[in-house]
Amino acid sequence: MSESPASYIRMVQHLIEKCLLHRMNKEECIDALNKHANIKPVITSTVWGELEKENSEFFAAYERERQNQTTETKTTEEVIEESADDED
Amino acid sequence: MLAVTPLRSSTNGDRAGDVGGAANQLPASDDFSVDFDFDFSELLAGFDDADLLPGLEIDAIDLPGPETSAVEVEASCGRDSQQEEREEEMALTNHEEVLSCEIKEETSAASESNSSAETPPEKDRGRKSTAGQAKGSNGKRKVDWTAELHRRFVQAVEQLGVEKAVPSRILELMGIDCLTRHNVASHLQKYRSHRKHMMAREAESTSSSQRRQIYATWLPPTMGFPPNAPPPQHLLLHPNMQHFRPLHVWGHPTMNQSLVHMWPKHIVPIGPAPTPSWVAPHPIQPSLLPPHASPWPPHFARGTLTQGTPYFPQSLPTMRFPALPVPGIPPLPTYRPDGTIPTAMAQPPPPPPPPCKQTGWLVQLDAHPSKESIDAALGDVLAQPWLPLPLGLKPPSLESVMAELHKQGIANVPPCN
Repeated sequence: MSESPASYIRMVQHLIEKCLLHRMNKEECIDALNKHANIKPVITSTVWGELEKENSEFFAAYERERQNQTTETKTTEEVIEESADDED
Repeated sequence: MLAVTPLRSSTNGDRAGDVGGAANQLPASDDFSVDFDFDFSELLAGFDDADLLPGLEIDAIDLPGPETSAVEVEASCGRDSQQEEREEEMALTNHEEVLSCEIKEETSAASESNSSAETPPEKDRGRKSTAGQAKGSNGKRKVDWTAELHRRFVQAVEQLGVEKAVPSRILELMGIDCLTRHNVASHLQKYRSHRKHMMAREAESTSSSQRRQIYATWLPPTMGFPPNAPPPQHLLLHPNMQHFRPLHVWGHPTMNQSLVHMWPKHIVPIGPAPTPSWVAPHPIQPSLLPPHASPWPPHFARGTLTQGTPYFPQSLPTMRFPALPVPGIPPLPTYRPDGTIPTAMAQPPPPPPPPCKQTGWLVQLDAHPSKESIDAALGDVLAQPWLPLPLGLKPPSLESVMAELHKQGIANVPPCN
């Protein structure tokens, strides 16, 4: 398809934002875009990086929340496993 | 038009018998009708008759051609609005043409009889009332441009290309029955003028890629605006206060609340915010605007007018992942070993186990989104790239992205291979 670079970049940004809605980190996002949208990893990485520069507060907060979330998730998993073990 | 001719001959006879004064006009009208191949004479005839006959409807009924179609439009108000619109337009156009010709003709040809002086106003009234009645029926009323409606409008316009977007095509793409071409046309006009205004602002500092965000922001800003917003101030951009307001010209305050709740669900509702969820004082950036002005201007105060969508940093630092369903996120399969799905509904009413209540939702939105949902989400973007960006992050400048890509060895975007 013939797109202008600008619209292509916008599309990549759009895809990245979708990944952000799914709480993916950069690597996961690159991977997803590569697999599902055939976006070259280097392009995703570049656009991600540029987005991060432009929206540094957002990405910082996003990463913080991801860390918290990961911690909570791990705790949850442990609790679940424990309860599952208990049930067994 | 063709049907006019026999009518003419019949009315000629009538006229000759009934209206003596009008008969003077006949030769002239006949001549004209011959010359122009127009139902001009019929209209004159009709006017003459109309002079005798009371009531506007009879005007319409007597007059052939455009008037007839106007009557049809009037009569069948339930018809498809587009068709009606077209017919009405045609009727109006013809009316105008006829009127202008007719008025000239009247003044030049007759000018002596009262009928000729009176019929134009009557004709006007007839036309207006007919048109008014036609307008009163579905589709031609003032359209309430809701956020959803506008979103579809923007989609269609972006798809067609703003400059090339034609109301009829936009209407097709939108596929909404209640809209007429006229509604779309006037909305498009306003939209274009708004865009021009925004572009003029943007051209001062930002790059072209950000301009694309402008019309993507048309809709979302309306969602984020407090319901007690001042009346729309038409496209006035005051540097400190009013950045957001012009965008709100297109908003509907009554709609904002319901729509705003849509957005936070995509991400996370703001738990501890004392004010309604979308009014979160921006903690990170000291804003130029008073905090009460609007939730989003702190974002705009950064100097970009491109972001209308909820600004993530406002909500993230205070996110608490409350246990609310998140319709915006497709439900992700969970990996609880016991097989139950930790949705709020699936929980037993008495104290649900903490992992399920609070973090069960979290689990759904965890770091393992399913491939299918990802694929679906990304596929949506690929299929409909004109959709507004879900987060509305500030886009990087095109130049810097391209420069970076060049550094990495990518020359063409999109890549050819």
